[in-house]
Amino acid sequence: MLSTGLVYAIIGAAAAVLFAGIGSAIGVGLVGQAAAGVVAEDPDKFGSTLLLQALPGTQGIYGMLTGFLIIWRIGLIGGNVIDLTLQQGLSVLFAAMPIAFGGLLSAIMQGRAAASGVYMIAKRPEEVGKAIVYAVMVETYAVLALLMSIITLFYIPL
Amino acid sequence: MGIAKMNKIYLLAHQAEKDRILQVLQQAGVVEISDLTEENAETADWAELVEPDQAREQLQEIENQIAKVRFSLDYLNRYYPEKKGMLDDLLAEKEVVTTEELAAREAEWAQTSAEVYTALKKIDEELLALRNEETRLQNTRQQLLPWQNLPLPLEELRETKAVSVQLGTIPAAVVNEFQKQMQQLEAASFYEIIAQGRDDAYLVVGWHQDDAEAVQDVLKGFSFNRHNLNQFTGTVAENLAECERKATALAKKRAQLLSAIETQLEYRQTLQYYHDILSVRQEQKLAVERLVRTETTFVLAGWLRAADVETLRQKLSAVSKTFALHVREPLPEENFPVVLENKKYFAPFEFVTKLYGMPHPRGIDPTPYFAPFFIIFFGLCLTDAGYGVVISLISALGLLKIKGEAIRKLLKILLVGGISTAAAGWLIGSWFGVSLFGSPLLFDSMTNPMLFLAISFALGLLHIFWGMLIKFVSLWKAGDYFAAIADVGFWYGLIIGLLLLALPQAAQVGKYMALICAIGLVLTQGRHQPSLLKKFTSGLLSLYDITGYLSDLLSYSRLLALGLATGVISMVINTMGGLLKGHPIGFIIMVLFLIGGHIFNLLINALGSFIHSSRLQYIEFYNRFYEGGGRSFMPFRQKTRYLEIRSEK
Repeated sequence: MLSTGLVYAIIGAAAAVLFAGIGSAIGVGLVGQAAAGVVAEDPDKFGSTLLLQALPGTQGIYGMLTGFLIIWRIGLIGGNVIDLTLQQGLSVLFAAMPIAFGGLLSAIMQGRAAASGVYMIAKRPEEVGKAIVYAVMVETYAVLALLMSIITLFYIPL
Repeated sequence: MGIAKMNKIYLLAHQAEKDRILQVLQQAGVVEISDLTEENAETADWAELVEPDQAREQLQEIENQIAKVRFSLDYLNRYYPEKKGMLDDLLAEKEVVTTEELAAREAEWAQTSAEVYTALKKIDEELLALRNEETRLQNTRQQLLPWQNLPLPLEELRETKAVSVQLGTIPAAVVNEFQKQMQQLEAASFYEIIAQGRDDAYLVVGWHQDDAEAVQDVLKGFSFNRHNLNQFTGTVAENLAECERKATALAKKRAQLLSAIETQLEYRQTLQYYHDILSVRQEQKLAVERLVRTETTFVLAGWLRAADVETLRQKLSAVSKTFALHVREPLPEENFPVVLENKKYFAPFEFVTKLYGMPHPRGIDPTPYFAPFFIIFFGLCLTDAGYGVVISLISALGLLKIKGEAIRKLLKILLVGGISTAAAGWLIGSWFGVSLFGSPLLFDSMTNPMLFLAISFALGLLHIFWGMLIKFVSLWKAGDYFAAIADVGFWYGLIIGLLLLALPQAAQVGKYMALICAIGLVLTQGRHQPSLLKKFTSGLLSLYDITGYLSDLLSYSRLLALGLATGVISMVINTMGGLLKGHPIGFIIMVLFLIGGHIFNLLINALGSFIHSSRLQYIEFYNRFYEGGGRSFMPFRQKTRYLEIRSEK
């Protein structure tokens, strides 16, 4: 029998991967559409547009690693499942929220910024650095969300 | 060091020597030619003496030539693409030719490229005709194919005085009904279904002219669609066979044309060289369009590095006895193009500087100042000794093989960044996510992330203070001692004072230090405002900038987040791989999975590390002192892909 706390913790792991993943999928897709249009005109821009497309992909990875950290901490991997109390389970669930929703929204917005960056390098290929910086400005908030999630997870007493 | 000293030059020489001089300038590749034809203050006092120089006709001629060569190259590439990977472009070396060799070979190249163009143009026309022929043949085949079982020669299906015979289709769905009606019809007629397709039935219908109306009524009722094959003679099968014969002949012709294209492939390199020559010449003519002239002379204005002036003068003396070169310093308000000059070890980091844009011509080149931090941050973002070693090895290998200048700079950064990554990974004991050599040298980031966070903030503080110091020194050197102390010194005091508050022994000192500096800021930061009230309010508001410092400092927490991300993803890969071991086939899959997984992790995190380390420079560091808005130096030089032209070997 799984304890209620454990169920909440697993919901947290799933939410981290799920929402951050949805965000990244949307973001990467947005940039891909823009990039395909630009590369149709000039195939040489594949490299720099791919670089921009990779940027909103990181949130999905952050979500995945948060999810992994949760199932690692609650002992789902390794076989020694910890019997979490309700409070512990809810704490783990909420620890996952920063990256789940920070990741979701920042990936979408970063995708938009990067897609505009793609249009920018269509006109000015030498300015790829600036296009990347604009997209990376958004990434900051995903990084902060990830940081909060994993620090909390490290220190929740289980 | 830093931003190169630039000089403005004016070169006056004879029109007769123009081509030679431009060639020398282009090969030297050190002068950026300014446009003198635009009206500006510089030419104001001698503007009536000169008129814009131009080379429009020659330029047109060269552009025509280029278009032809490009047509040939594109045509060859369309049918026989050059097989090239991404690496081949990086590894390619240019062929070196001297100016004399070029003169000897150019006529031959021009001849060859003209011949290739004529040949390919002819082949192109023939291919077009061939394609039309093929389409026509295909249509005929489509038209005849349903009738292939019709045994009669088609010329016999003509209308006579007594009998009419027609070919046509009716919808397949109504065939039975049609047969019934035809049987009931009392008329001298016959019909035969030749073929039955999915949608239509193909039939031949005949009738005596006396009964024509009755039969045609029935046909109309079944929406009979007449097919006209009058243009053919002989049976359908014979005609189809003829089509086949023609198709084979066309295919053979096509193969011949393709092999005719293939015979031109041997000239591809010649065409590439000739294209380079033409574009070099095109650049020369475009340069002419920026000059001004009198009847017998021309004037060229441009920028070059002060260090290059003497060598340029020597090179010009070698080809001309009669030229005047006037050199001057930039005027105080004049914005000259920016060249970054750094010592050997810092030069690669210009790559990062340029990614953001050039600094202001009279500003500071940040390259040497951020380079050490960039490397440390890069290492901390990756923190895996194994990844560091891999990055260093690959970059070292690339440096041995690759010649391209920009890419070499990047590789050099990655080489050092890899070493820094290896060092950071070694300190926290992570080799591909595993502690290979027992306990970590310093601490384990997984069990003690707060220490890692503290280190990140400490480095961030150092980075920000370093940036403030640069500002302080540059103000001090400029003689603005007051601004140096008021704008930078007080902030130093305030931040250090606030930090001291955290230490019990120094809290008292910190309190007064912060207070004094805060008062200093309030009193000085509004000094540019006109009224006393505004001075006070904007001074007070300047204290709000403390939030800027705070958020910049917090931004360095990304070092921990990215460092942990690399570590945790490695752990994920290793754990998932570990599930597969214990079974012989599983073991092989595990090895492949581990390799693929770690390559993925390395790529995505190395990219992240690079851009986040850059960002910490661009935003947090540049904020303190940097002034951008410089324009990159774009010298008049040879832009070639395959050839390198030198005056001598």
